[in-house]
Amino acid sequence: MTMFSLVVKNLLTRRARSILTASAVAIGVMTVVALGVLTFSLRETAISILRTGKADFTVAQEGVSDLLYSALDVGDLQRISAHPEVESAIGVLVATVDLDDEHPLFLELGLEPEGLEEFGVRVVDGRRYAADAENEVMLGYRIAADLDKGVGDSIDIDDSAFEVVGLFATGQVFGDSAAMMPLRPLQARERKPGALTLAFVRVDPSADIESLRTAIEDESPQLATVRTESDFGRVDRNLALLNAANFGGSILALLIGAVGVMNTTLLSFFERTREFGVLRAIGWSRRRLLVLVVGEALIVSLFGAGAGVGLGFAAVAFLERLPDLLGVFRPEFTSAVFGRALGFAFGMTFLGALYPALRAVRLLPIEAVRHE
Amino acid sequence: MSDLAQPMIEVFDVAKDYDHGTIRALDGVSLTVDRGEFVAVTGRSGCGKSTLLHLLAALDRPSRGRIVVDGRDLVQRGDLDEFRRREIGLVFQLHHLLAHLDATENLEVAMMGTHRRRAEKRVRALELLDAVDLGARATMRPPRLSGGERQRLAIARALVNEPGILLADEPTGALDTRSIDSVLALFRRIRDERGTTIVLVTHDPTVSAATDRIVEMRDGRIVDRGVSTA
Repeated sequence: MTMFSLVVKNLLTRRARSILTASAVAIGVMTVVALGVLTFSLRETAISILRTGKADFTVAQEGVSDLLYSALDVGDLQRISAHPEVESAIGVLVATVDLDDEHPLFLELGLEPEGLEEFGVRVVDGRRYAADAENEVMLGYRIAADLDKGVGDSIDIDDSAFEVVGLFATGQVFGDSAAMMPLRPLQARERKPGALTLAFVRVDPSADIESLRTAIEDESPQLATVRTESDFGRVDRNLALLNAANFGGSILALLIGAVGVMNTTLLSFFERTREFGVLRAIGWSRRRLLVLVVGEALIVSLFGAGAGVGLGFAAVAFLERLPDLLGVFRPEFTSAVFGRALGFAFGMTFLGALYPALRAVRLLPIEAVRHE
Repeated sequence: MSDLAQPMIEVFDVAKDYDHGTIRALDGVSLTVDRGEFVAVTGRSGCGKSTLLHLLAALDRPSRGRIVVDGRDLVQRGDLDEFRRREIGLVFQLHHLLAHLDATENLEVAMMGTHRRRAEKRVRALELLDAVDLGARATMRPPRLSGGERQRLAIARALVNEPGILLADEPTGALDTRSIDSVLALFRRIRDERGTTIVLVTHDPTVSAATDRIVEMRDGRIVDRGVSTA
């Protein structure tokens, strides 16, 4: 008999308790996986708006609660363009519209047709829209396939009929699931004349990007430049809140899971006091006993983690179907999320098993043997 | 290396107090047990005989005095786990076997921490089960064994690491007459074949009569050290 086989035998003997402990871990892991995937996917969705533009950096209004609420104007764009280091600056108006039940947050991007190429848009079928065309639209090839639309078809957006004049690809899932149309008609329809949401800036390769960002922010303090994902929180406080909620929720899940593990492990300790005492009496060292108790907890946590990941998948599938998240939540199961979940499972188990394990090893054999 | 002329167990003026000295379980106990001796410690319930056995097994520490086992003072030793694993074997009245493990596994658990390989442990366990007439019960769990068989299994567990001393606390207390006879015969065989020193605590005169020497205790003191009949 090895220590491992003894651990397994002990767990199988107390099946109900093992299952309860694994359930506590599973619920914690499920929460961590679901929150992690939700946060990561929402952040990716938001950040992919910025990535769509293939720019060196993006300019938005500083401190808005949501990136889509960012408000720039043509004057801001002109000031940015005036910097000699700027090769191009493209203003984009981003709006959302409830297209249908499946696409409640359908994204519309308004930009001048001459900026399309610079913006990283490749027309894969048909042609570009005209600069002032009020009823022409290009669809990303993904949404076109999803809606079963092609060049020449008509599409109703916000009670207006548009002709699909072309299909485009950007290399970004988010962009390829949007519609693009001329800037001014979209500004008019949104009742935001001269308004922009974001400016995508390309910089002369010989210029110092960081100096330029500083210069733009000094010149227009209401603006923030975004180059990396870590900058993103400056222009989208929702993301910071989401990250904080994810962190807080995960910590709570860790604590709740740990209390669950501790509860069952402690009950097991009281139930097995004599057994531990007998093992000490026949020569088991404190360390060996600790390995036994922690080993049992670790095996349980592994099973709990596995079940928790499965439940996490189910929870994410459920969240994906929530009407409020349709269209903005495209789950991405990254290895980091699973790594974190596994870490949490072990963390939960370690925290939960620590106290009972320490009590077990501090037990005096004579007290345990006398224990009734 | 053990000095064969030296007694196996020497107890010098040992006292044991509980509850901050309000209860004195042992008071000035001194005792010597020779190598290979089979000794019974008797006395009424509460006279301190089990306390003495627990001190000999290093399950507890004396409040005063010294206990020297095989030439080494237990109070000075820092490796009491090792002492319990290798140098003594313990048998309890209620056997305290692990109910979810079979007879072989109960013996193997006691060998964990020794340098034997897994296969060697299995062979050793099966040999010992044969030696205590439990070879046919190797895969049975303790709840399926009779009282006498459980106690024989507990004795096998105590012997599994080939200790020089066997300490048994009322090992026949829960057995019927037939089982008592078989357990006592087993103790005698162990002493005769292996030269194991055996200290057995009992309040049953028929059990103590089967040993080499009877040490009688009363109110925490030894009142009669007995004379060896070996």
